[in-house]
Amino acid sequence: MKLNKKIMSLGLAAAMTVPMAGCGGGSKQEAAAPVDLPTIDSITLSTADTPGDYTDLTASIKVLTNRTDIVDTVYKGYAEQFMELYPNITVEYEGITDYEESLKLRLTTGDWGDLCFIPTSVNKSELSQYFAPLGAFDTLDGIYNFCVEKSFDGTVYGIANGGTAGGVVYNKKIWDQAGITELPSTPDEFLDALQTIKDNTDAVPLYTNFSAGWPMGAWDAYTDIVCTGDPDFKNKMPHMKDPFAKRDDMTGPYAVYYTMYEAVARGLIEEDPASTDWESSKGAVNKGEIASMVLGSWAVQQCRDQGETPEDVKYMPFPITVDGKRYASAGGNYGFGINNKATEENQIAAMLYLKWVLEASPMYTDEGSIPALKSAPLPDVLADFEGVELLSNIPAPEGEEDLFDQVNLESEVGINNDDYPDCEIL
Amino acid sequence: MSSTTAGTQKSFWEKMTSREGQRKLIIVTFMFVPLLLLLVFTYIPFLEMVKFSFQNVKYGQPGTWVGLKNYIDVFQRGECFKSLFVSVYYMGGVMVQLALALFFATMFVFKIKGAGFFKGAMFFPYLICGIAVGFIFKFFYARGYVLDSLLQMLGMDIENIPMWLQDQSINNISLAATSVWRYMGQNMILFLGAMMSVDTDLYEAASLDGANKWHQFKYIILPSIKSIVVLNLILSISGSLSAFEPPYVITNGTMGTGTYFVIMNRLAHENQKVGLACAMAIVLLGIIILCTVAQNLFFKYVFDDGS
Repeated sequence: MKLNKKIMSLGLAAAMTVPMAGCGGGSKQEAAAPVDLPTIDSITLSTADTPGDYTDLTASIKVLTNRTDIVDTVYKGYAEQFMELYPNITVEYEGITDYEESLKLRLTTGDWGDLCFIPTSVNKSELSQYFAPLGAFDTLDGIYNFCVEKSFDGTVYGIANGGTAGGVVYNKKIWDQAGITELPSTPDEFLDALQTIKDNTDAVPLYTNFSAGWPMGAWDAYTDIVCTGDPDFKNKMPHMKDPFAKRDDMTGPYAVYYTMYEAVARGLIEEDPASTDWESSKGAVNKGEIASMVLGSWAVQQCRDQGETPEDVKYMPFPITVDGKRYASAGGNYGFGINNKATEENQIAAMLYLKWVLEASPMYTDEGSIPALKSAPLPDVLADFEGVELLSNIPAPEGEEDLFDQVNLESEVGINNDDYPDCEIL
Repeated sequence: MSSTTAGTQKSFWEKMTSREGQRKLIIVTFMFVPLLLLLVFTYIPFLEMVKFSFQNVKYGQPGTWVGLKNYIDVFQRGECFKSLFVSVYYMGGVMVQLALALFFATMFVFKIKGAGFFKGAMFFPYLICGIAVGFIFKFFYARGYVLDSLLQMLGMDIENIPMWLQDQSINNISLAATSVWRYMGQNMILFLGAMMSVDTDLYEAASLDGANKWHQFKYIILPSIKSIVVLNLILSISGSLSAFEPPYVITNGTMGTGTYFVIMNRLAHENQKVGLACAMAIVLLGIIILCTVAQNLFFKYVFDDGS
């Protein structure tokens, strides 16, 4: 249901941008002649010791953000750090509460600022109308994560402000106590590890949160990239005859559900799944009463906040290995875009700031998210994701945008759906 | 031409101003509002549902005509009728519920101490909304919570206490018990109301003749409240066919507790098979009508005084 609402609101948003696209087209003609921008990969940033490009550029730029909670503290701090490196450039933040709605309107005026989070309502084909090109997709895709989400026709218009990954939240102290030194990489290793935890500690090896319903959706979320390594798998799934069939190498959706099924069948989960409690489960992971939970990386911070021992809460990739390689699904957060109607100086200054935020700011460590830079170390939360390839789903081809959802509904399989009517505790 | 129009107008006016006309006018005017409400909020939606049941409909999309396919699906999908079997547990619950209600109502008819308090206490659960009752019992039955602690206090070993909500041999009984808890008080009050109308002199006369309380119940009370017992039974049986809140809130219909309504809700809302769910609703309507008619016939023959 949650998904449906999202789709509906996206659809609405899309429908509402159609008339606006017309307005945008009108004002586009008044825009200054296309400026000759450098690509983001070609510029060199200043560091504390060595000056880079454009150190003599004077500009004052405005950055729009939805994070009103930290705009005057954390983000302002970033701007000050940047201005120390580029004293001639002034960076000013503006926090917007009703971000999506106001941005949709402000974008069409062309006079909204210089750098913003691209609203999700902007279709890919409209990106070039509002945002300056940052470089060629083929080049940038090798440097930054999640480029595909905001690029069109081989050109990148936005780079994601990091992202979140899918895996398993676990309490390292308990896993160590049980004597597990190496994290599991296959479903059977994972199940053995859970068994070891059950034998050697008092903790619940795997907490399902069955009764709350939605946390079980994490398992569904791992049925595409995590178990196949194919970013196009979700689009192929509705065309496959039997996507849930068992594969000999223990990959594919079967392996994900096998892990869950066997964990339940072997009694490696909480004693009474019919009466689980989500709120207290977060604290229980922190305290070590629960050894692991299958949830997205967003849950790590929440579990850390709920107790005395945040350092014990860690995150591991889901235990499936495809042809010797590990994969994790990752989704980008908002993408940054530069106003293509701003003056050349401002556009370049915005690009400098963008590059600095993406590559040199402490943002990703602060937020515990996946950094934008592919070469950057993963945040502490994802320390166990070394060597795991992070991929995000390729959008469905034209004409098949809702095929997955339709097949999902018609077949009553219920992927990414709270619904689980036929399940039984063995 | 004009004269004939005037003539009919006049006769119409005359009709309306006559006593008979006024009476009809007032009836129609008074009936208009309730009939309109009934039509707009009951019959038109119902007809619309009948229409949907012959269509393949999703929310926000026009339906396509599929004939009897939805009805065939209802009968071919095992789960639909299997879920009716779950209702048997609730019917069993109804029997217990009515027996308890009769028992307590009879006790309250005779003078006892603190009757007002106990009546209130027993009726109270009916005032709590079904969703809240669900949450109460979710924790009541949870491992190591209320019920388990109580049983442990009584000396039971936790190993011997079943999992109230996941053991499939018992979980439907656990759920049915929650609806017994909730509705027993209401049944009791209805019975009590009917019993109050029995002339108290009868009890006195009976006890003078040597009748004990059981005799009084059997020969005086029960015959006097027969019709209300039958009514409660019919209402409770159709209620148990459409049991929804306990399984939906407590177990979400998992582990074999999915009643007909829970399955219907899932098909309509999670899978957006609105047509199929509408067909299920109409099939259930048919079943409830059949049950009610069967019960009526049954009571007619069983309780026939021979008149």
